[in-house]
Amino acid sequence: MQSFDQPSAAGRIGRYALLCLVTFVVLFPIYTTVVAALKPGSEVLKNPLLPTAVTFDVLIEAWNEGRLGRYLLNSFVVAFVVTIAQVITSVLAAYAFAILEFPGKRAVFVVFVATLLVPLEATLVVNLDTVDSLGWLNSYQGLAVPFLATAFGIFLLRQVFLTLPRDLLDAAAIDGVGHLGFLRHVAVPLVRPTIGALALFSFLGTWNQYLWPNLVINEADMNTVQSGLRLLSRSSLSEPNLVMAGTVIAAVPIFIALFVFQRQLVRGLTAGAVKG
Amino acid sequence: MLPSLHARHRGVARRRPLLRLAALSVVAGSIAAACSSGESALEIDSGADPVQSTGAQGGTTGTAVDDTGSLEDTALASTTTVAPLADFPACPTDALAAATTGPIEITFWHGMNDVLEDSLIELTDAYNASQDKVKVTLQNQTGYDAAIDKFIQSSADSRPDMIQFPEYSLQTFAQSDTLIPIGACVESSGFDTSAFLDRAIDAYTFQGVQWAMPFNVSNPVLYYLRPKFEAAGLDADVAPLTLEDMRATSQQIVDSGAATYGWVLDSGPNSGGGWFLEQWFARAGEPYADNDNGRSAPATQVLFDSASGVELMTFVQDMINDELAVSIGDNSGGQDTYLKLIDPAADGAMTIGTSAALGGVLAAIDSGLAPGLTGADVGVGPMPGPSPEPGVNLGGASLWIVDGKGDEKTAASWDYITYLITAEAQSQWASQTGYVPVRSDALDIEPLLTTYAQDSRFRVAYDQMVAAVDGDTSLAPVLGPQREVRVATANATAAIFNGADVASTLAATVAQANALIASYNQRN
Amino acid sequence: MAMLAPSAVILGVFVLYPLGRAVWLGQQRCDNFGDNCVSQGFGQYLDLFRSNEFQNALEVTVRFALITVPAGVIFGVGLAVLADKYLRGIGIFRAVFSSTVATSVAVASLMWLFLLQPSVGALANVGWFNSLFPSVKSPGWLQDPDTALWAVSASSVWANLGFTFVLVTAGLQSIPRDLHEAAAVDGAGGIRRFWSITFPMLGPTLLFVMIVSSTRAFQAYGEIDLLTGGGPQPTNPTTTIPYFIYGQNSPIRNDAGLQAGAAVLLFVMLLVLSGLQLAGIGKRVHYGD
Repeated sequence: MQSFDQPSAAGRIGRYALLCLVTFVVLFPIYTTVVAALKPGSEVLKNPLLPTAVTFDVLIEAWNEGRLGRYLLNSFVVAFVVTIAQVITSVLAAYAFAILEFPGKRAVFVVFVATLLVPLEATLVVNLDTVDSLGWLNSYQGLAVPFLATAFGIFLLRQVFLTLPRDLLDAAAIDGVGHLGFLRHVAVPLVRPTIGALALFSFLGTWNQYLWPNLVINEADMNTVQSGLRLLSRSSLSEPNLVMAGTVIAAVPIFIALFVFQRQLVRGLTAGAVKG
Repeated sequence: MLPSLHARHRGVARRRPLLRLAALSVVAGSIAAACSSGESALEIDSGADPVQSTGAQGGTTGTAVDDTGSLEDTALASTTTVAPLADFPACPTDALAAATTGPIEITFWHGMNDVLEDSLIELTDAYNASQDKVKVTLQNQTGYDAAIDKFIQSSADSRPDMIQFPEYSLQTFAQSDTLIPIGACVESSGFDTSAFLDRAIDAYTFQGVQWAMPFNVSNPVLYYLRPKFEAAGLDADVAPLTLEDMRATSQQIVDSGAATYGWVLDSGPNSGGGWFLEQWFARAGEPYADNDNGRSAPATQVLFDSASGVELMTFVQDMINDELAVSIGDNSGGQDTYLKLIDPAADGAMTIGTSAALGGVLAAIDSGLAPGLTGADVGVGPMPGPSPEPGVNLGGASLWIVDGKGDEKTAASWDYITYLITAEAQSQWASQTGYVPVRSDALDIEPLLTTYAQDSRFRVAYDQMVAAVDGDTSLAPVLGPQREVRVATANATAAIFNGADVASTLAATVAQANALIASYNQRN
Repeated sequence: MAMLAPSAVILGVFVLYPLGRAVWLGQQRCDNFGDNCVSQGFGQYLDLFRSNEFQNALEVTVRFALITVPAGVIFGVGLAVLADKYLRGIGIFRAVFSSTVATSVAVASLMWLFLLQPSVGALANVGWFNSLFPSVKSPGWLQDPDTALWAVSASSVWANLGFTFVLVTAGLQSIPRDLHEAAAVDGAGGIRRFWSITFPMLGPTLLFVMIVSSTRAFQAYGEIDLLTGGGPQPTNPTTTIPYFIYGQNSPIRNDAGLQAGAAVLLFVMLLVLSGLQLAGIGKRVHYGD
């Protein structure tokens, strides 16, 4: 540790104080939410800062009558399917762009990357129509299929495939291993960290979708957690503690997941940022 | 996401790119700003026929008076454009009896929440249990607008078999070619509607065809807190009936210190802002839209910027300026007006709200929401308006049958509907929810008989509806884009409550509404 | 190539085709059910862009971006720099600062809705605060036209704090320490070192954060849907472009042609926005060594 980096004792106390202050500000909304989620109905209008009464009944009610349990399942299924699919399609396409040669490759790649610039709002109306004519409204397919591929994953994995040493490839060619075999046994294991980052990114992105599930789902039971929360907030206006309980239930799994997958998270988020 | 950039500069980022960016943004912004056309998006021409939109100052007042005069004595059903029932899809109500396979499953999209949903579930469970030919699955769409949106977006296969639509969507769906008019079912089954309230049936009749079966009927009533009336020296059994009465009562309440404000108002599209004007115009016997409020032919323009409209809204604005009344905004949750009545800091004494909320309000107060108050302290009176004769437009929603689902499902839906509108079901429904029963014989049956006998507040909405004087403006206006027009009137109401000039605000809103209607008529 | 096929099909059917179709639909007008569409010519795009409603929504969206993007960057960088020291227990602080990554738009918005609700929310119930800011209590920050957008922005900035923090922290950690050391030896103090070394070296990260944040700001829908429903009447100062198109009180709810047109206009604006940022700042950003 360099000496210039060590603040004086006063500096250290000051920094700790500042850190604590910021922590308080960042955690404050979460704190009041949890406090409210644990309050029975009669208490919720009173002091929102203090847990004047604690009960788990509201959480249970949100899970059952509020259907949060079912929503969590729906979100998980859809996010899981989309994640797997995005990883597979991205790996395949990225490999093709990185390793294979074919005419017009550059142009096709540009077209693929261009899709990243298209916002969801622009494709919504037509996608809704498409999904509807396939009979996929209100279904897992409707929620998942439009997102089974992503140019972000292709871009990311192509970057990393490009760094694979050429002699690995040549060795594989000499051994008569086809592209798919090479992909499966050599390339993928080598880029596992990036795949992990992509997987987390895909999962989070799908889990957090708000507009699309709202439009696709009519049946209460098929809602994802995000559209379910909207439903809950509108149908339980007089019970803010119930809505907060639903919010807590919706947030906790992701908090846990991100805690477990911290490293992948950082890698995923920084994948485009640090080096261009 | 970043394409690789090749510029490599050693050293620090300079200030210049920021300046350049700022300059570019300013240029872009000024171009954009200079580009504003000052026109509404809805005025973008959408068809071959140029629509004659009227001038902003209600230049059609003359014509409107003539229309009213000439149709004064004509029953609404027989008007200039009556579409024969044969033009519309048929309703084969006997298909149910002929059905051989197991219970026919039908889905019903509704918009009932909380207590209302519980009641509907109770009724539906009873229906499902009472017979084995039809099984109804309820799907809560969270609200009328969501149900409308979802229905419009769905293709024929994903639509439900039955759906609940609110009163303001009558024209949209009557003209949509996606639903079967209930009148066809009434006719083919020989259903007896004599016990039904005429106004309820008429409300859902468009160009002579009954399109939907009224199910949950509500209308605005006056909610007030009796202790505050008493503290002001007023008789708590007498509710103000005219707008002048509202002012006098509020004055007395404020002067005596019984409450900070007399009248609590809201301005949201789903509450006061959406229907104050509609209700008061009907009450005053004035047309809100042309073509007999859109009943005899599709409306092409609205008329609420007339002198009456200006007078009405100015009256309310004056009350707010004199601090006899207060507006709490758009009331998106539906409860803010009631909460304001018991606001410990600056409370009110009266508010106009939907009769459908009565059950919820009483339950909330009884649960201890306001210390010292019980449900018995809530008074309910008829909706105040410009004239002392009672009169309300019907609100709420109705049941519609979707076309293209096959004879069996159509018949099954009709069967379920007939159950929901039996006297017994309506009696239960009305006493649990506070909705007005759609048929008069429901009053003679338990539990409604007792409910009305024990608590006359629950029958205020019913009484004011049957007492209402009939005329061509006594039914709510029917507009194509009625929901969007209500959003516009809500904005106008909010602006007026905030102190904007009444005449110009109403004129601008009429122009906006007319653009909406013109756009709708051109496209549909 | 067969390997490209799955991605190509999905992206083609669900991104490229809808975009193309939307561009075409944007110059049509359809009935309430999206049928019977009639072409009006591409002048409709210009009319739509210049219309009052779109311009208002654009103004709101730009204001929203101008509040949330700089605030997000400043707070993110500030927190990252604050936590970028080898203090004991710094890991806990870092975990806390990145925690909002776990909140989705819906979760964060509902948390803030509860905070800001008049008479119930914690931020609306503080006695002395109310006398300083009367609109906190009544009608409440979300109902006062002057403060509504700021309240929504606060919620949005808070929700994105974790994301920015994680990114900037990673960026900070990639700055070689010997640069700082050398500068310190030369007598440069903390602040000088920040502006001369840290800030420029964070260039690529900050550019990425800005592009992602501004794109997000232009696509703001969920927070408005849950917090204000388009904004307190009558001026509706929180109706962003996406909410103008798809929101509950949208005047073009039943007009598929105008909806598609507005969405395509949004797409174009996002292109211009990203392009401006890349061109204006990106070229001067320092990459690698």
